[in-house]
Amino acid sequence: MDINFEAFVEWDNSPFILFNNSGKIIYLNNASEILFGYVSKKELFDIAVSYAPQNFGYKTTSLTLNYDSFLFYAITVGYENEEQISLRLYNTPRIKSTRKIETDKFITTDINILLEANIALFKTKNNNPLKLLTDQDLPSFKIDQNNFSKLLRKTLNAFRASDSIDISLKLLIGQHVIIDDKKEPIIQLAIEANGRYADTDDEIQTLAAQSQIKSLLKERSIKLEIPLIQ
Amino acid sequence: METFFTTSEKIQHIIKSFNLTKTLFVSSIIIGDAHTGKKSLAKYLFPEAHMVSGTNQEEVNKALESYDELIITDFEKLSNQSNFDFSNKRIIATANYVGNASLIDDIFAFIYTMPPLAERPEDVTYLKNLFTKEAMATLMIENHTLDEKVIPLNLSMNSKSLKKSIFLYLMQLSMDNEDIQNVIYHYISKHLEGNDGYREYLELYEKPLIKAGLDKYGSQLQLSQVLGINRNTLRKKIHEHHID
Repeated sequence: MDINFEAFVEWDNSPFILFNNSGKIIYLNNASEILFGYVSKKELFDIAVSYAPQNFGYKTTSLTLNYDSFLFYAITVGYENEEQISLRLYNTPRIKSTRKIETDKFITTDINILLEANIALFKTKNNNPLKLLTDQDLPSFKIDQNNFSKLLRKTLNAFRASDSIDISLKLLIGQHVIIDDKKEPIIQLAIEANGRYADTDDEIQTLAAQSQIKSLLKERSIKLEIPLIQ
Repeated sequence: METFFTTSEKIQHIIKSFNLTKTLFVSSIIIGDAHTGKKSLAKYLFPEAHMVSGTNQEEVNKALESYDELIITDFEKLSNQSNFDFSNKRIIATANYVGNASLIDDIFAFIYTMPPLAERPEDVTYLKNLFTKEAMATLMIENHTLDEKVIPLNLSMNSKSLKKSIFLYLMQLSMDNEDIQNVIYHYISKHLEGNDGYREYLELYEKPLIKAGLDKYGSQLQLSQVLGINRNTLRKKIHEHHID
């Protein structure tokens, strides 16, 4: 029987990329397409070459790779000839929160209002230039207003001395998170600048976790992935 | 309805933020010196809200049980701050200072700082006009020509000291000979003691006399003629009272 495996690779949830010997991409599956929004072709090719087995064949290495919200715990690099080299990255399973959300505290809210109010609060203390790119059509969703406001205040406050702060709020199309066995869309609030304070990162993480929000804290940016619970 | 006047950009942002969160269940606190308008601002933004003072702990506890929207003034005076549960309530608190910063940071989502009057020159002008009108009405002073620019304004205690300095100035302006004598009479009655009283309290008369005379006539020579005293005597008195 002749089986075509290509579709299985194509729809595998873990990224798979096939390079030629000069680093050009010959093939990539769906999962890698999204990944390339966050990492360069060259970086992944270099990894493939560095972790390639000494002779023809396949080698799996455990390592931690982190690109934005993508987290991988291992890679397999293989080649059967001098022309092609393949790289497969293994997704780290997302830890499923066992804590139930206290939905009685969750009130349907227009996130743009809370964001604007927090920007106004920020402006009472700072004069940094600030750019906001938002989607006014985002639907209202359920959130603990007080807790989320604290999170926004602390998040913005990390940028109190930054120049040219860029804030963007958007729906992450095609991405979901499972909360209480329900699939919820994700809204991403991203704040980026030339640098930021990290003194309250712990508090930001705690507050985010309390509202089922995933926080990605980087050297120059903070991203909050907020479940759109309706 | 209460009105709240301000041209301060900082306070405009505070008002904007409050207006946006007016319908949400979030806890906010306005922190700033006494008499900067924190309570007026809260009352102006939330005219329907029940208001309790932190000086009465019992009352605050009861109000928290029965109201979802509540203004708590003098928040710094409450000793059981850490026990409060503000979830799903709209709390607007005011405080003259931050007692425990990390606790405030923990309890409140929105923490605003009210700038003192000294940082709000246009608000001072507005309040000055307001208080001057009020003072003139209260003291029943007819609208005689008043140069508002010369009123010495004391901002050390914000609107409280500002109001007092305007009232005092207008009272002084409206006093006649008899009023001034009465003021001095009461002052001396209260303070006179010791064994050098005559010389000590002569200052109350001599100092303003010489100061006003110098301001009006400029030179000591001219003033000595107006006062009808010797120039050397005048010089001695100027030195004695440490007048420049």
